[in-house]
Amino acid sequence: MQSEDLAKALAPVLGDRILGVEPFAKTAGRLRFRADAALDVFRAVKEDLGFHHLSMVGGIDWVSHREVFYVAWSDRLGQYLLLSTDLPADAPHIESATPVWPSANWHERETWELVDITFDHHPDLRHLLLPDGYVFHPLLRSFKLHEPEELEVKKRSV
Amino acid sequence: MSAPPPQLPAKVAPANAESYRLEGDLPMVDHPAVPFVEIETVRAQEFIPAAKEALSALIAEQGQSKVIRPTFNWAGRNSLFPLHWGLACCAIEFASAFSARWDSERFGIVPRSSPQQCDLMIVNGTVTWKVAHKLITLYEQMPEPKWVIAMGNCATGGGPFRTAYSVVPGVDKLVPVDVYIAGCPPRPEAMIDGILRLEDLIRERKE
Amino acid sequence: MWINMGPQHPMTHGLWNLRVKIDGEVILDCDPEMGYLHRGIEKISEDRHYNEVVTLMDRTCYVAGFAWEHLYILASEDALHIVPPERAEYIRVMCEEFQRIGSHLMWYAAFVQDLGLMTPFLYGMRDRDIVLDLFQSYSGARMTYEYMRVGGVRNDMPPGFSAHARRALDWLSDRFVEYDRLCLGSEIFRKRCDGLGVLKASDCVATGVTGPMLRSAGMRRDVRRDRPYSVYPQLDFEVAVADGADVTGRYLVRMEEMRQSIRIIRQILDWLDHHPGPVLADRLPRWLGAPYAPVGKEDYVLKRNYPKGVGLSSIEEPHGEAQAYVVNEGSEHPYRVKFRSPVFANISAARHYLIGYRVADIPPIMGSVDVCVGEVDR
Repeated sequence: MQSEDLAKALAPVLGDRILGVEPFAKTAGRLRFRADAALDVFRAVKEDLGFHHLSMVGGIDWVSHREVFYVAWSDRLGQYLLLSTDLPADAPHIESATPVWPSANWHERETWELVDITFDHHPDLRHLLLPDGYVFHPLLRSFKLHEPEELEVKKRSV
Repeated sequence: MSAPPPQLPAKVAPANAESYRLEGDLPMVDHPAVPFVEIETVRAQEFIPAAKEALSALIAEQGQSKVIRPTFNWAGRNSLFPLHWGLACCAIEFASAFSARWDSERFGIVPRSSPQQCDLMIVNGTVTWKVAHKLITLYEQMPEPKWVIAMGNCATGGGPFRTAYSVVPGVDKLVPVDVYIAGCPPRPEAMIDGILRLEDLIRERKE
Repeated sequence: MWINMGPQHPMTHGLWNLRVKIDGEVILDCDPEMGYLHRGIEKISEDRHYNEVVTLMDRTCYVAGFAWEHLYILASEDALHIVPPERAEYIRVMCEEFQRIGSHLMWYAAFVQDLGLMTPFLYGMRDRDIVLDLFQSYSGARMTYEYMRVGGVRNDMPPGFSAHARRALDWLSDRFVEYDRLCLGSEIFRKRCDGLGVLKASDCVATGVTGPMLRSAGMRRDVRRDRPYSVYPQLDFEVAVADGADVTGRYLVRMEEMRQSIRIIRQILDWLDHHPGPVLADRLPRWLGAPYAPVGKEDYVLKRNYPKGVGLSSIEEPHGEAQAYVVNEGSEHPYRVKFRSPVFANISAARHYLIGYRVADIPPIMGSVDVCVGEVDR
């Protein structure tokens, strides 16, 4: 299925909740959707086109805004689909995909703590990889890495 | 005609020997002590004076510090028990060192799963800040004397993840390290060599 | 009562913590606690040149380094619009299949040790070393290779490699009978593994579980077959499946996968013998070849004008379906690198295959998942 076919198949169901479908290498296409209609889009994609397997959720910090993307796989079409949407850089949040794809749970926890995108109505939104109480979001562009400061090390006498 | 077998020293029967050799019902209430322990004690009583005598002769000849400490060091360095845990990539080479090709157990190195049984902690991988306090707890649970080997570049100084926000740049910021092994990851030979270097250190241990 | 199994526990095979709620011996609930090996690989990659990220890929999954190198390289080449020579693609697929054998043997050794069988551990490690010797002959390292490059691979096979590899494959293919006799013929193994850790295919799909765990539930999904990448369309192999969806099923799937890998490698060795050629694309951008800008010439690297691009790759890693997403914004560093680790999803479903079993069943069940913490935490 090409990206044009995908757009045609989804247009009657979703209407203007889709902002566009563009071709993307090795997938059925990249589907851009409106963030406030996230759950409708996920449901339509899963139930109408058979994208039952959600393989990845991730976020990108574009400084001016944030992007959250989902990759799903359909056994029926034999293709991947990339779904993405833009969120404002100030307090970005989107509806959690866990009601549609339960496997989104840990991926969303990871995206929340690393890229600082809040997933509303997530069942268990707490730290996964970083220690509890960690206040930084390392994958933001404003978070810079640096050489660790040299510490004085006293050798142990044996 | 072969020589007669050497005579073992005659067993000294305990004072209450008769009481427990009675057939039939054993005197459960009046039983003074577990008799087999007593027999073992008697044997030890024969051995210990001889050993004490030999040891005190050696000490008188060479001085206490030259006998007791080397004996402990000799025993300690030939039975190093490392903590059985794997942090990252080096743990796979750590496991390889116990496989048939390298067979580290011929050096008396046997990994134990409980820190209370260990005297050597091999930090085989990247140490993150999240695991740092757990590493210190494990180190504190190990009985003295104890040693630490930093295996690989990550444990030595952070390695390729030195700049990362979550990585401790070298485990010597947390616990004292005795031997550093370079490599990313070190080959099993390098790990065994590091342990042999540690044995050299233990041999010269004074206090 | 909640108990912690980890981070230092013989069951974990790495640094993670399984919190288990038990009533007597029965597991009521569980909560895997990850992140003890979170090294920020995705963040460090943003400060590295494209070829330098390969260094981190070996350490991401330290039992399947070649598979992760391949994954990252496929996505980067899409993002950078570079096409590798065909011989390099065959070599990469050969590396990946050899790595599958090595990873499964490592799994086999660690898994059977959890069950208390020591002899299979020694056999598994011995045969894994034979595979690692082959890696060492052309990449120079046993585990961390840094062998693949954007646009090809670093160097060609050494002379006589093909004969060596064939001899190793002959040796390995004879060993599987031995393994089966040691495990499937062992009463201890069967009693501890049959019917344990059952996860049905529908649950697998809902929770994102892939790889041997999914195929042991009878579902024939394999990225190599469904969405073939690199030169897999030219190769002839079967997708290993089993039914039962339990620990024994996962054992059977992995054993069959190793046999199929041997079949694939034999085909590739035949191809490589008859098709000599370059292994690195020519006309690569100069900045890709140089890891650092020469001193005083930093501007040269920064001022070039390279087209932007995004790459998404998906491969069948030994543990399951792995994905990489690489964003190229025209700089010499990737703007964002995101990975999907199969074990990440497989552990996240722990609740579905642990609850209801006993505490003593945790080592065989988690052993059959084949946890590699490096790729979960990244």
